This record gives sequence, structure tokens and C-alpha cells, in this order.
Amino acid sequence: MTALAHSVGSAPRATKPRAVSSTRQKARADAVPKLRYIVVLLAGIFSILGGQLLLSIAVSGGAYEIASLKTDLRGSQQQQQIVGEEISALVAPDTLATLAGSMGMVPDNNPAYIRVSDGAVVGEAIPAEASASGQVFAVTAGTESVVAPEIVEDVFLTISTATALEADVTDVLAPHTAEVDASQTAQPTASLVVATEPPAPRFGGSIPSPVTR
Amino acid sequence: MAHQRISSRRMGVALLVIFLMAGLLVSRLVDVQVVRAAELQEQSAEIRTTSEVIWASRGSIVDSFGNDLATDVDRYDVSADPRKVGDFRRDGDVVTVMAAMAEIALITGANADELLYAVNSNPEAHFTYLVKSVSPEDRQALRELRNPWLQMDLVRERTYPFGPVTANLTGMLGTDEPLAGVERKYDSCLRAINGTATYQKGADGIRLPGTTQLVEEPIHGGDVRLTIDSDLQWYVLQTLAEHGSNLGAQYGSAMVVRVEDGHVLAAADWPTFDPNDFSESPVEFMGARAFSSPYEPGSIMKSVGIAMLIDGGYTYSEDKIVAPGFYEVYPGRYIKNFLVADDRQLTTAGVLHTSSNTGISVLADRMPKAEATRYLRNFGFGEVTGIDFLGESSGQVLPVDQVDVVTRYNQFFGQGISVTAAQMASSYQTLANDGVRVPLRLVDGCLTNDGEFVPEPVAEPVQVVSASAAQQTVRMMETIVSQGPLRNTLEVPGYRVAAKTGTAEIATSTGYGDDRVISLAGMAPAENPEYVVLVSFYKPQTSRVSTAAAPAFHEILSHVLKHYRVAPSTEPAILPPLTW
Repeated sequence: MTALAHSVGSAPRATKPRAVSSTRQKARADAVPKLRYIVVLLAGIFSILGGQLLLSIAVSGGAYEIASLKTDLRGSQQQQQIVGEEISALVAPDTLATLAGSMGMVPDNNPAYIRVSDGAVVGEAIPAEASASGQVFAVTAGTESVVAPEIVEDVFLTISTATALEADVTDVLAPHTAEVDASQTAQPTASLVVATEPPAPRFGGSIPSPVTR
Repeated sequence: MAHQRISSRRMGVALLVIFLMAGLLVSRLVDVQVVRAAELQEQSAEIRTTSEVIWASRGSIVDSFGNDLATDVDRYDVSADPRKVGDFRRDGDVVTVMAAMAEIALITGANADELLYAVNSNPEAHFTYLVKSVSPEDRQALRELRNPWLQMDLVRERTYPFGPVTANLTGMLGTDEPLAGVERKYDSCLRAINGTATYQKGADGIRLPGTTQLVEEPIHGGDVRLTIDSDLQWYVLQTLAEHGSNLGAQYGSAMVVRVEDGHVLAAADWPTFDPNDFSESPVEFMGARAFSSPYEPGSIMKSVGIAMLIDGGYTYSEDKIVAPGFYEVYPGRYIKNFLVADDRQLTTAGVLHTSSNTGISVLADRMPKAEATRYLRNFGFGEVTGIDFLGESSGQVLPVDQVDVVTRYNQFFGQGISVTAAQMASSYQTLANDGVRVPLRLVDGCLTNDGEFVPEPVAEPVQVVSASAAQQTVRMMETIVSQGPLRNTLEVPGYRVAAKTGTAEIATSTGYGDDRVISLAGMAPAENPEYVVLVSFYKPQTSRVSTAAAPAFHEILSHVLKHYRVAPSTEPAILPPLTW
């Protein structure tokens, strides 16, 4: 290309030096920008191609990321479902009743209420009988016993361990039972509110609750 | 020169061959790139394209507190291709098929021998299930076995987290379609339609970007909300189970209804079934008998009869009548009382209190039979309740022209008419609600997938009897609890309770036999009833009188009052005299 340009350019130079001078200058002036255009054009094309390549790499890299995130999402959703199923098993009335029974609680259908406005006790509080042991009965035809789900078994274990470690549940409940007895004999008056001030709380003032880990 | 000619000829041949070959290639190129381009591209896309099911969740059935009673969960079916099952290497150690099966068995609780048998019994098969419906937790553990021939596919499965507690109401889902209860009746709300999508994937299984196409959008189901309080429902069911088995009853039903809006808070049937595993359950215990099994209610109907008579202006609480030992319907046909054979001077209140058949017959005689039938229908007997439960029975109220001279009286003490427990509870709701029957409600509405709550239509309340007639009847029923022989069992300390017992004879092909339906219905607090409770036991064996239903009724009612923190009664009861 360059050689050709030289040979073509050199021939007229000898015969018409003056006339050529301007054309040559013009050609040179033309050639320089042309080369620049070509370089710019090629660089443009290559950078576009390169950019496109990078972009496509990034997109497919993104596809892998999406795939992995989707797997993560699915995993998290399933984790949520697993935990949700565990919660459902634990809040099931059967479970709660059995757990309460295992902690020594008995159902009492005769509560009394303290009216906040005047402190009067309304209703007749009757201590629950221990015989109402909170036994859970089988309710389906032909079933002899209630089978607790695995998760519930785990909680039983945790609770019984926790109870053994902390205190005897009946010991905690004893002062409260005594209060109810007292309220029955006492006249429902405003003074009762003072009389039944709760004893100093154990466990830092919170309700003794099962420790679940 | 000759040499040149030969070489130019050779050149010509070579060129010809080259042109021919080039032509062939070009025509092939045109054929592939232009003529068959679309077809070939399609084929290649087909090879790379995979279609996937986008699972849509069936809606949940929830109780009034939003606890799931029925819901969809992910499970996995574990399978294998028997032809590929074999020993494999893991961390350099060989895991034999036997050991692999033992590992699977340990995680899933399946029997390793059965797993082996599944694979060995048909070694040429392409597919065999090993364990179905494995939890996501176990699936994770199975994946960690890195067993190359183990295949696990996602399936959606229906679970009922509270098991049998609300089984009678929710019904259950079969393999293809809902089989019973709310699952079936509200399928249009709950139903989900799985979607499909296609995408192309590379050799490494990763989907190619931009190729995913949603073919069909998945449509998730909506949630059905019930009025049920599942804690209460559980308690009611437990009480039925305890007392039902003590009584040797064939079955029992109980309902708790909120008076103001007719919401059914508990509707339990014992025995029931576990909707999670009902393959072994007896079919007769799979429904909701409180809705589907009509029976002749017996004396529990007398409260309704008395309210009708008062509303019609035929009597009032203190009305003095003589209840004969025997009431002669026509010569040779007598209505008699339970135990009592003497004439007694009773008030209308006393008639209800002592549940006198002859006394109520004296009163019933005052009301034309067409009017009585009209009242019974207004109370909702002879038609399904507002719930319109799947397979609900409408019971039977005889048309006026078929009410014979005996049935005319019998209807007032619950014979010659058949009702469901739900209808009976509804009639007591009417008495408790100053004579206004608010149609019962079990399904609150459907929460669609786009978050819109579509409530079930609310049926119009019906004023069946006047407030005065209803209140007088409730006062009379209070005497049964506070002064009757059952007071020690029925009284709830601190509350005024109104209730009526009923012992109905079960009609057989040869007349009435020895078997009974015993029931008790009532409400509390009597001065302004908030809750209605109905308990009934079918064919009790150890005791066949209605008093046997009293302990269960008492336990449920006490529990309801405590559960809903009902304020104890403060007004003393002013009750009508029973005799004169």
C-alpha cells in the first residue's frame, strides 16, 4: 500500500514539480486524516466488539449468579417452611396441652376476675382438681394413643431438662394457689387488692417459661 | 508446448473440480443457512430447551386467628433408575448399594430391605420410587450423601398441622381432587394452577441468559378463613372423646356458637379422622355429622315449642295448667311422661322444667298445626343452615297436610321431626338472641391471592319469635340449671346458665328401640347470652338418659366462659314459679 503510493507519487514529481507540489501537499493532508479515520474506526469497532464480549461475559456471569441466588432463595424458603412446620407442630393445641400437663399444670374452668374499677372479685374461684390431669385423648376412630410429632418430643426433652435444672414447678405455683384460696374467704372489697399483692417475683420477675435452645 | 497444453488441461480439470466442490459447499451452505435455517434452529433450540413446572400453592384453610388448618408444603419423592444403581465412590471409599440403602433408610425412616427390593425386583426398569414425600430437612441430609443415582423431585403436598382437630370441617385432599368439607366446597377459592416456563440451558446445566420464557403464569390459590377457634375446637373434641368413650357412645357432636353473629366457634365430631393419613379411617367417621346426620331431637325441642306458643299468644311463663299423667290423643292413644304418671299442677315454666310431655301437649293443642309448622320452618328446621356445608342435610319438617294427629303434639317434644345438630344449635342461638335468628356462619370469606378479601355473603337475620317470648323461654331454661336435679352438674359458679336436656328415641324399622340420642343445649350468661353450646351423644351404652350428657356440656360451657373472658353474672335471676 505504502510502496504503491510511493511509486505512483514519485512519477509525476519529476515532470511537474510545481503543479504537483500543491496536489502532493493536498494528498498528504488527505492521507493523514484518512489514516486517522481508519485507526479511529478500527479502534471503535474493536472496542465495541470487546465491550460486547465483556458484556456478554458479564451477562453469563450474571446467569450463574442468578442461578446460585435462586438456589439460595429456594433454600431459605425451605428453611422458612421447615421452621414454620415446627412452629405449627408446637402451637397445635394437642402439643400445648401435653406440654402444660408435663409441667404439672391442670385445667381450671372456674377462674375469678378482679374488676379493675373497684378491685372487686367477681366470679367464684375454685381451685382446679389435680385429677383433671390434662390427659390428651385420642379422637380418631380406632386410635389408641396420641403420637406426638418428633419436634414435640424434642421440646419435651428440653423442658424436662430445664425444669429439673431450675426449680420444681409446683413450688413456683404454690403461693399463687394460696392466694386464690384467700380470695375466696375474703370479702370482695377494695382492700383485697392490697391484700393480694404478689409475692416477690422469682426468676427476675418474669413468668417461668420453658427454656428452648 | 505439449507439456504446456497438458498442464493447462490439468489446470482446467483441477479448477473444475475446485469449482464443483466449492459449488457443492456453497449450495450446502445456502441449504443450511437459508433454506432449512428456521427448521434447524428450532431443532437446536429444542435440544437445549427444558420446560419446567412453576409450582403454584393451593391456598390455606385458616381458623379465625389465622392459624393454618390446611396448607401446602414442599416434599420430595426420592427415586432411582434401577439400571444405574450400583456401588459408588465417596471420598475414596466404596459405598455399596446395601450401605447406600441403609443410609437412605436411616434418614427417611424407610425399611432398607424394602428399598433394596424396590430396586432389585425390576432391574431393567428405568424408574422406581424409593421413598415418597420426604421433608426438605431429610432431603438436605440425602443430598449430603452424594449418592450419584439418587433422584429427588419436588412435589407439593397438603398438610393439616393440627391433625384431626378440624378434620371434620376442612375435609381432605385426595391425590387428584379435594374429597370433602371446605377443601371441596371452596375449591374455587383454594385451587392453584401450576404454570410452566421454558428456558435453554448450556452443557453445564446453567440456564442461558435471556432464554427463559413464561409459557403459563402460575396461579396461586386463595385462603379460606373459617370462624373456628381451633383451641376451643380442640377442647370440645377432647371433651367429646373423654365423655363419649366413657358413655360407650357410637359418636358425639358438639357446637359452640357466638350469639351475636351466629359464628360457629367450634363444631366437633367424635370420633374423627386424621386428614394427613386417612387411608385406614372408617368412612363413616370422615364427615361432619353435626351437619350431615339428622335425628329426632327429643325434649331439647321443647324450649323451641314453648317459645312458639308464647309468641303465638297461647301461653306465658306463669300460665297455670294441669299436666295429666296421660294425655289422650284419641281413644286408645296416649302421650305419657318420663317416669311421672300423676296429674300435676304446673306453670308453663314448670312444664319445660320437668320436661312434661303431657303438659306441652295441653299447650300444643292451643296452636293450629299450620301455625306450628310455619314457626318450625322459621326457626330454620327443614332447610340447610346458613353454612350450607357440603353434604349438609336439611332434616325434615313434615308438610302441614302430612302432620297427623299424633305428630301434631310430638313435634313439640322433638319427635316426628328430624333435625341436625347445626339446626338445633341455630334454634338455640335464636332463643339466646331475643328471637332473632342470625344464620350460622362457618366460612368468613376468601382471601384471594392478590390480597383481596371476599367475604361470604351475610344472610339476613330473621325475627322468629318476639324478644319477650325468647327471654321468657330462657328464664324457664334457667330454672333447669339452678333448681333442677342436675344443678350440681350444670351450674357454673358465678354465671347464670340456661339449658335444656333431651333424650330422643332412635326410630328403627320396627318403631322406637332402646337406643337413644342424648343431648343438652344451653347458653350463658342467661341474662344476656353470649354463647350457645350444644352437645349430643348417639347411642350411649352406659347411661341412656340425657343427664349423662350434662358433664360434657358443663365442661365445654365453663371452658367457653373462661376462654372468652366472659364477665361473671352480677344481676340475680328472677325466675318464674314452676307449680301452683
